[in-house]
Amino acid sequence: MNDIVCILRRIGIGLFAVLAGLLVCGCGINNLPTYDESAKAKWSDVQNQYQRRADLIPNLVETVKGYATQEREVLTQVTEARAKASQIKVDASTVSDPAKFKEYQDAQNALGGALGRLLVTVERYPDLKSNQNFLALQSQLEGTENRIAVARRDYIESVRTYNTELRTFPGVLWASTLYRSYKPMETFTVAEDVTKPPTVKF
Amino acid sequence: MLSSFRAARGDAILGLLLSAVAFAAYALTFPELTGRVVDDAGILDPATKAALERKLAEFETKTTGQLVVVTLKSLQGTSIEDYGYQLGRQWQIGQKEKNTGALLIVAPNERKVRIEVGYGLEGTLTDAVSRLIIENSILPRFRANDFAGGIGRGVDDIIQAASVDAEEWKARSKKRPDDEPGLLDILAFVFFLFIFFMIASSISRQGRGHVQTRPGARRGSRGPIIPFPGSWGSSGSSWSGSSWSGSSGGFSGGGGSFGGGGASGSW
Repeated sequence: MNDIVCILRRIGIGLFAVLAGLLVCGCGINNLPTYDESAKAKWSDVQNQYQRRADLIPNLVETVKGYATQEREVLTQVTEARAKASQIKVDASTVSDPAKFKEYQDAQNALGGALGRLLVTVERYPDLKSNQNFLALQSQLEGTENRIAVARRDYIESVRTYNTELRTFPGVLWASTLYRSYKPMETFTVAEDVTKPPTVKF
Repeated sequence: MLSSFRAARGDAILGLLLSAVAFAAYALTFPELTGRVVDDAGILDPATKAALERKLAEFETKTTGQLVVVTLKSLQGTSIEDYGYQLGRQWQIGQKEKNTGALLIVAPNERKVRIEVGYGLEGTLTDAVSRLIIENSILPRFRANDFAGGIGRGVDDIIQAASVDAEEWKARSKKRPDDEPGLLDILAFVFFLFIFFMIASSISRQGRGHVQTRPGARRGSRGPIIPFPGSWGSSGSSWSGSSWSGSSGGFSGGGGSFGGGGASGSW
């Protein structure tokens, strides 16, 4: 009988040591959900800015059409790229789905490239460049590209924090016990982030 | 289990190294926020500076928005757009929660100018309006080397644009998601403590003695866990709106944030 009590005591002490240890490093218990929420908020920022760019395009295409009738090809490319990018449905879960994330990123990059070509093309049309509507659209588009860059960088930074927490102590403990559904998040590829948004000279 | 821990540690170390490299690449230095006009490039004479300071202070008392004029010696190799929003965040110009701040940034050596607009002012001081102010008011004067004139006129226009519906954006508060602990975190902590004491009491019953519970209990009552120290530190500067006079000292950012709104130009 005494032996059993002794063993139980030892188990108790052992359990205590583990629990106390967890409590002391328990500061980490909130980190994963916090970083997760923060990264997802940044992700929706990115989505918003891309959406904002997509919303500007029909108006831009209409305006350019009126002046640059022979630029059908570039205009079609932009419209098609926009349609393609809008077709991809993304939400908060996209960030931990590498294939979907890449698809979204590629589609947005294609749209960015087509837009860049369009803005270079319009350089040849002085009338268009002095059109007030076009000027407003152009500055909005530039502003949006800049916001996209900022939103993406904020997202990359918060995903870095989240992924690091997921793989380091004590976060790795919580990830393997309490938060098993927490997956590493995808991030934008660096090489592509370095490329500058299309800039347009007046 | 152990090997996976080791792998995770390896990843973490690699990650830390990589992030250190990334930080080094992004490390920009920012001038000190000495007032509403920070003439780092030294292109403004004291009289102009004082006049601008007065105008900017008046703008703040009238609309609670913060506008700061800054001239830079160098953009440190990055674009003015990149530098601008980071400077705005560093200085935390604009009212916290509302983010009603704006910067007029002039980099004479790179011949670049930018109006950087905080989140809360993006509705009134739009990209298009900012661009028009730069093109029509600022650049023609800069091209004639009249920096004081260009900045003065630019500030007038920005103030006018941002004051048009001051009442409206006073009411609008565009809140950024803050990383503050929610109710759920506190509940999780309480739940954790609860389980802890459940186990502790069951062990003490089994062990017939109370010796083991003491150290654990003391540990459990160490006070609330602070989930992420440092997250409050950066937003420490408090907002005291109208109490600032236009005179030199005592000016600081109100905690506003920036997201790349505004427009740029070059001459």
